[in-house]
Amino acid sequence: MSFCFKSRFYNREIWKAALVWRHKNMLCIETVGLTHRYSSSENTLNGIGLQVPEGGIYGFLGPNGAGKTTTLKLILGLLKKQQGDIRVFGKPIDKDRLATLRNIGSLIESPSIYGHLTATENLRVLQKVYQCPSGRIQEVLDLVDLARTGSKKAAQFSLGMKQRLSIAIALLHDPSLLILDEPTNGLDPNGILEIRELLQKLTQNRGITILISSHLLPEIEKLVTHIGIINRGCLLFQGTLADLIKMQDRASVIDFRTSDNDRAYQIISDSGVRPTRGEEGSVSVPIIDEAAVARLNRTLIQNNIDVYRISAFRKDLEMIFFDVIGEKTI
Amino acid sequence: MTATFIHSFQSEWLKKKRSLASWLVVGGAFFIPSILLAIRIANFGKLPEMYAVDDFWAALWKQSWEPMATFLMPIGIILATELIAQIEYKNNGWKQLHTTPQTFTTIFFAKLLVIVSMFVGLMILFNIGILLVAVIPAALFASVPYPAAPLPYELFLTRNLRFFLDCLPILGLQYLLSLQFKNFLVPVGVGFFLWMLCLGFLSWEHSYIFPYAYSSLDHFATSGDLPARKYNLQIIAIGYFLLFIVVGYIMYLRKEDKG
Repeated sequence: MSFCFKSRFYNREIWKAALVWRHKNMLCIETVGLTHRYSSSENTLNGIGLQVPEGGIYGFLGPNGAGKTTTLKLILGLLKKQQGDIRVFGKPIDKDRLATLRNIGSLIESPSIYGHLTATENLRVLQKVYQCPSGRIQEVLDLVDLARTGSKKAAQFSLGMKQRLSIAIALLHDPSLLILDEPTNGLDPNGILEIRELLQKLTQNRGITILISSHLLPEIEKLVTHIGIINRGCLLFQGTLADLIKMQDRASVIDFRTSDNDRAYQIISDSGVRPTRGEEGSVSVPIIDEAAVARLNRTLIQNNIDVYRISAFRKDLEMIFFDVIGEKTI
Repeated sequence: MTATFIHSFQSEWLKKKRSLASWLVVGGAFFIPSILLAIRIANFGKLPEMYAVDDFWAALWKQSWEPMATFLMPIGIILATELIAQIEYKNNGWKQLHTTPQTFTTIFFAKLLVIVSMFVGLMILFNIGILLVAVIPAALFASVPYPAAPLPYELFLTRNLRFFLDCLPILGLQYLLSLQFKNFLVPVGVGFFLWMLCLGFLSWEHSYIFPYAYSSLDHFATSGDLPARKYNLQIIAIGYFLLFIVVGYIMYLRKEDKG
């Protein structure tokens, strides 16, 4: 049995905020204590409590092998649930599976498209199952900009085109929830931008809830409203993007490098600010306003301490992400 | 429920369009007739005598079905069944298919029905091929008459039905294997091994226990090359088929990872 120490350690306030958010917002997906293991050795998932609010874009982040795909497969019923509860649209997934799946569009890992068929034929295969109007095929092809592929077989498509066709397939039956597992994998920056714009358009125009997984924060930070960070099967952070930015502020410091760092530390402590020791003995204080920085500087000078450098050290979101998952920034 | 199954079947049917499995059915059905036709055209001088005999159709039937029943049909079913499953494996299709609003039962039987339908299609095309072998030389060469003997419809239908039932166990077991193994070499390898094993034991008195042997046994027993069996091969074949399908269905439902 393994435990998620970090999730307890990492910011209790965020979890409180998540609880408040849970009650304020209708949840589209909710998992409670979701645990899964492929072999008898180690749990792939440890009590995952995912909370995806309705109408939001939830970024599910984690390095490769963190448990993202396993979680998504469990939500979609592709893996047999071993422990925990999964509720989609407020209902247990295993109670009314078919009705729930009727409202979900998904793309799990690599695109699921039939290479020997054209884009239209690929969509026709799914249109028969969903029994949606034939006109939807052209609509979604227009939406993903594949309407002019004609008789070209899907096997001849570029990876970006295949990803867009997969999204068209996921959207064909006009679902209210999209589950996308690393949809930008292998795409060039332009392709990533295209997918991002398409997804933004979908939430703005149609109010679709999107659960999107990625192993790279910069890839989805401009897109998501909510974030969940998973590593080694443990959900380490869950909250809004604003919550993550708050964490970023808390992790940022102003660094004073002086002629006598020990005395500077004492003087800053006496002034009511809680300093820490920075690199090479410098004195770091939490981010404070500019007037307070000037005040501290003046105090140090008045005490005959030369101030060589005052620098702000602000962690970007990616560094926060690596902090959360407990791995060194590359 | 019925409507869902029909839609599911239509969807599965669409997937095989232009697939290797479809080409295999067409190619497999016309392979033997093409060879026979080529031989007849090359030796058209002997055809007038051949076309005048009373047992023209029986002879043509035997000539066409011998390689088909012993060799091409079992191999064709082994390959086509695997190719249908490979459409999903190769294109990462299982996970998409299993997240559509269809029961696993619907998916399992819709796919099975597609394979059975392709098998029926193979037999129909093969019979058309046999007819063309008879008709084309007569149409091409003035010296060759159309077959004098009437077409024995009943015989053709009955034997077609028997061969169809004879091959069902192969289809059932290959379907079971193809759903369990992503690597196509496993079902194809097992299928080939079992088929060759059955051929090796064909003259053994208890060869009826081998599920891959019935089309060969049936053909050689009918043509008198093997003694007639006291057991009804078709009933045993249906029994095997049902057994394989039930086991395959349970194993498919119990599969942990459906993506």
